[in-house]
Amino acid sequence: MTRLTLILMLVCAPLPAVAHKVIAGVFASGSAIEGEIGFSNGDMAVDQEVVVTGPDGAELGRTITDADGFFVYTPTAPVAHRFFADLGAGHVADVSMPAKDVAKIMGVAVSDQADPAPVSDEAVALCGATAAGLTDEERQAIAEAVRDEMRPLRREIAAYREQNDFQTILGGIGYIIGLFGLGFYLAARRKLAD
Amino acid sequence: MHIVDGALSNPVVIGGAVAAAGGIYMGLRSLDLERIPTAGVLSASFFVASLIHVPIGPSSVHLILNGLAGLLLGWAAFPALFVGLLLQAVFFGFGGLTVLGINTLNIALPAVLAGLLFRPMIRRGSPVAGAIWGGIGGAFAIALTTIMVGASLALSGDQFLPAAKLVFFAHIPVMVIEALLTGFAVLLAIKVKPDLFVREVAA
Repeated sequence: MTRLTLILMLVCAPLPAVAHKVIAGVFASGSAIEGEIGFSNGDMAVDQEVVVTGPDGAELGRTITDADGFFVYTPTAPVAHRFFADLGAGHVADVSMPAKDVAKIMGVAVSDQADPAPVSDEAVALCGATAAGLTDEERQAIAEAVRDEMRPLRREIAAYREQNDFQTILGGIGYIIGLFGLGFYLAARRKLAD
Repeated sequence: MHIVDGALSNPVVIGGAVAAAGGIYMGLRSLDLERIPTAGVLSASFFVASLIHVPIGPSSVHLILNGLAGLLLGWAAFPALFVGLLLQAVFFGFGGLTVLGINTLNIALPAVLAGLLFRPMIRRGSPVAGAIWGGIGGAFAIALTTIMVGASLALSGDQFLPAAKLVFFAHIPVMVIEALLTGFAVLLAIKVKPDLFVREVAA
């Protein structure tokens, strides 16, 4: 019996997370689209294949998440991108980035041809006077550093959004009491009417 | 245990919704004055139980308590669990609104079956025997739920065996814990309020 239990436990051990909810997000990262996929309990989806499709459903490419659940995809066309990952057991990650944002990353207007540009004119214009004295490399380095700094924050925000606090739980229970109270009232009225 | 929006194909989602609606109708018909408070309490327990995580290895699963609901409520488990699932979807984002029907079916149907199968056993024996049957009923409901989740995924294109196995094995600890919990809950219910099991569950 103990041996059987041990075997069962070993079988269970390498299973991927069967958590509640998949958290996925995509954001601009220089000339690429960066995204992360994970579960609401903090586990990240490791080595997960992500299928990228365009607005017409045609596959644009595939990418794989790293050990932290991050994936990077370099867009080749300024169209809406949909990122889909099947994590198994009823868990799917499905996020998209609108065409406008993709075009911004690539530095082209939405209607323009599909030619990836490393730094967009728009971004240069946005940076304005403060960035005027910086070279492209410096700007890239700053962008990189800021992204690295932002990453834990972003994760924290995602975790915070998933947090179920006491008030939410109490609110839910309140709804249940109200609903069943209503049912009780209706049932009692019917009984009294008989 | 909660299947999320977009994981299932449309026929499965629609079929699940229709079946769940039928179950809820059956349940509402069987809900009389005495059973409404029980249903409310179990609905609230189900709602909160999903927040109790059981860590197993690198992963964690949560309690479901559908077996207990089925044992105490019979068909009325459908509306009770539906309300719990609806609020979980709205408040916590577990599952989703479009898959509410199939999730209700996957969780409530095993509960009803556990009730139909094990209620007579609980009624027949001593309180301790009843508790043991209750525990078996609790584990049975979870096991059947995992199989139904696997089947829903299979009907949507996943391969049945890997999908079902994955869900099933991940929930073995939950089955054990729920068996114990349900067993003790049934024992308590038999001792404190034996008429919960005496009356036949109306269809």
